[in-house]
Amino acid sequence: MRKTTFLAALTAAVSLAGVAHAEDMVFTSWGGTTQDAQKAAWADKFTAETGTNVLMDGPTDYGKLKAMVEASGVTWDAVDVEGDYAVQAGKQGLLEPLDFTVIDKSKLDPRFVTDHSVGSFYYSFVIGCNADAVSACPKAWADLFDTANFPGKRTFYKWSAPGVIEAALLADGVAPDKLYPLDLDRAFKKLDTIKGDIIWWSGGAQSQQLLASAEAPFGSFWNGRLTALAADGLTIETSWDNNITAADSLVVPKGAKNKDAAMKFIALATSAQAQADMAAATGYAPTNLDSPALMDPEVAKTLPDQQKASQVNADMNYWAEHRDEIGTRWYAWQAQ
Amino acid sequence: MTQASNTAMLAPPPRRRGWLPAGLGPATPALVLLTLFFVVPVVSLLLRSVLEPSPGLGNYAELLGSSTYLRVFLNTFLVSGLVTTVSLLIGFPVAWTLAIMPGRWARIVFAILLLSMWTNLLARTYAWMVLLQRTGIVNKTLINLGLIDQPLTLVNNLVGVTIGMVYIMLPFVILPLYGVIRRIDPSILQAAALCGATKGQALRRILLPLAAPGMAAGGLMVFVMSLGYFVTPALLGGTNNMMLAELIAQFVQSLVNWGMGSAAAFVLLVATLALYAVQLRLFGTSQMGGR
Repeated sequence: MRKTTFLAALTAAVSLAGVAHAEDMVFTSWGGTTQDAQKAAWADKFTAETGTNVLMDGPTDYGKLKAMVEASGVTWDAVDVEGDYAVQAGKQGLLEPLDFTVIDKSKLDPRFVTDHSVGSFYYSFVIGCNADAVSACPKAWADLFDTANFPGKRTFYKWSAPGVIEAALLADGVAPDKLYPLDLDRAFKKLDTIKGDIIWWSGGAQSQQLLASAEAPFGSFWNGRLTALAADGLTIETSWDNNITAADSLVVPKGAKNKDAAMKFIALATSAQAQADMAAATGYAPTNLDSPALMDPEVAKTLPDQQKASQVNADMNYWAEHRDEIGTRWYAWQAQ
Repeated sequence: MTQASNTAMLAPPPRRRGWLPAGLGPATPALVLLTLFFVVPVVSLLLRSVLEPSPGLGNYAELLGSSTYLRVFLNTFLVSGLVTTVSLLIGFPVAWTLAIMPGRWARIVFAILLLSMWTNLLARTYAWMVLLQRTGIVNKTLINLGLIDQPLTLVNNLVGVTIGMVYIMLPFVILPLYGVIRRIDPSILQAAALCGATKGQALRRILLPLAAPGMAAGGLMVFVMSLGYFVTPALLGGTNNMMLAELIAQFVQSLVNWGMGSAAAFVLLVATLALYAVQLRLFGTSQMGGR
């Protein structure tokens, strides 16, 4: 009897939770300062406008996303993923096609729009240097590979993703417009020359810690992280020479329970004002072409979209197609 | 319906009772739990490893045929062996000291040991990162003392992983060893001395053999735990001394290649079970807990 009462109570609780769920949606991103900014610039505003609560989850995990879709138990509604993964996952049938009657793509940077994804924000890999810790700061990718003139540890992004391979090829003298298809043999050969001098950073916070402590006085960074360090009063030099852009994308996993809310959320997140607010908070560039006009010009000029003079766009379609092959080789090379 | 499912949850179906060895009745809830949350996932893991992306042993062939992955296997065993050895070398004198210490002092040392065990693993590992890095306290102190000119590389390599893991594993060696050493009758050592044994002989021929079950239990526990360790090697190690757990995480999360990830996980499981079998053969179950 007591068991039955307990069960009844449990059933009631579950159905209550179910009711609450109908008015909620879940947004998953990478945590840290970036997700804080996404919450403030997008989610809180969305809740204020529509009454739908946006629950935050994270970090984004591609294994988890695939498991949810395969098990038909998707608990994420909108997810921030890397641009090349968005293209690949779309082709693998893991994503819902976006509803472009809800999301206005006419104002969005076409580089980051596919049937299944729109740009979330975009960033550049730039050369950062703690000017207090060294006598000379590297200015070009080739300098980061020059251990004779720039001795010391340098830090690069640990995971297989657009950025480091491109940097190695540029340093080796490949012309920016001749990068793709990537010459992996050449890239790894170049990386071999500094392998012992590399400390890998696996997340944005760690990259900042390495640079601020001068554990690695220079390296390749997401531009927004350097902006944040400089704002904290450190003497940070940023070189935008051949900065390499890559984007995050917003996607909806196949079978998401609150698909309609997710589409509306993405529509708001990619609107001009929301993108401008997000950019101002993070130092990453907006993906809505109308956003720069809404921003403080002083802030807008520090963003990647104003650094096109010497800029390389990582080819998301190339990466999507070769993601597995490059990844397997990348991790094998690291482990050697 | 509620009644029926209740009964099913609480008691084993009558047919099963027949082949369950006598006395296992009270263990049924644990067995059901293990079946649901351990056996079933392990079997599905095994299935994935031979079915994805195509049926066959392709994943195992790739895993065991590649020099890179073999290196990771080898490194996993090397690190685990090193951590076990160092833990035993440090743990034995500590356990010995604890066993002969007055009880009040021993309790304080135990409190310190347990407190460190209860502290969050990530926090402890990050603390080592801060201490050991090139600009960290250890290096700064050594440079200020004039002992070294250039900072030593203490993280992102084998040294960092070993220090970090030994620190975490020490209680798992000390506790079983303490249990065994406490039970050694001190008069045996007196008798040895009376019979003319030197301190070295008493250690080698009496103390160590008597403490061997505790060393084996603690050592095996540390070795097996080390085999599957993830956080500490990932944070304190370099990419060229990657351990198996990191490789599995990479397959599952970054490459989303679950076939390979499952195969690697299964190899790790088999290695662990094999070690456990060896331990059982050598020492039996009675001494696994230190006695």
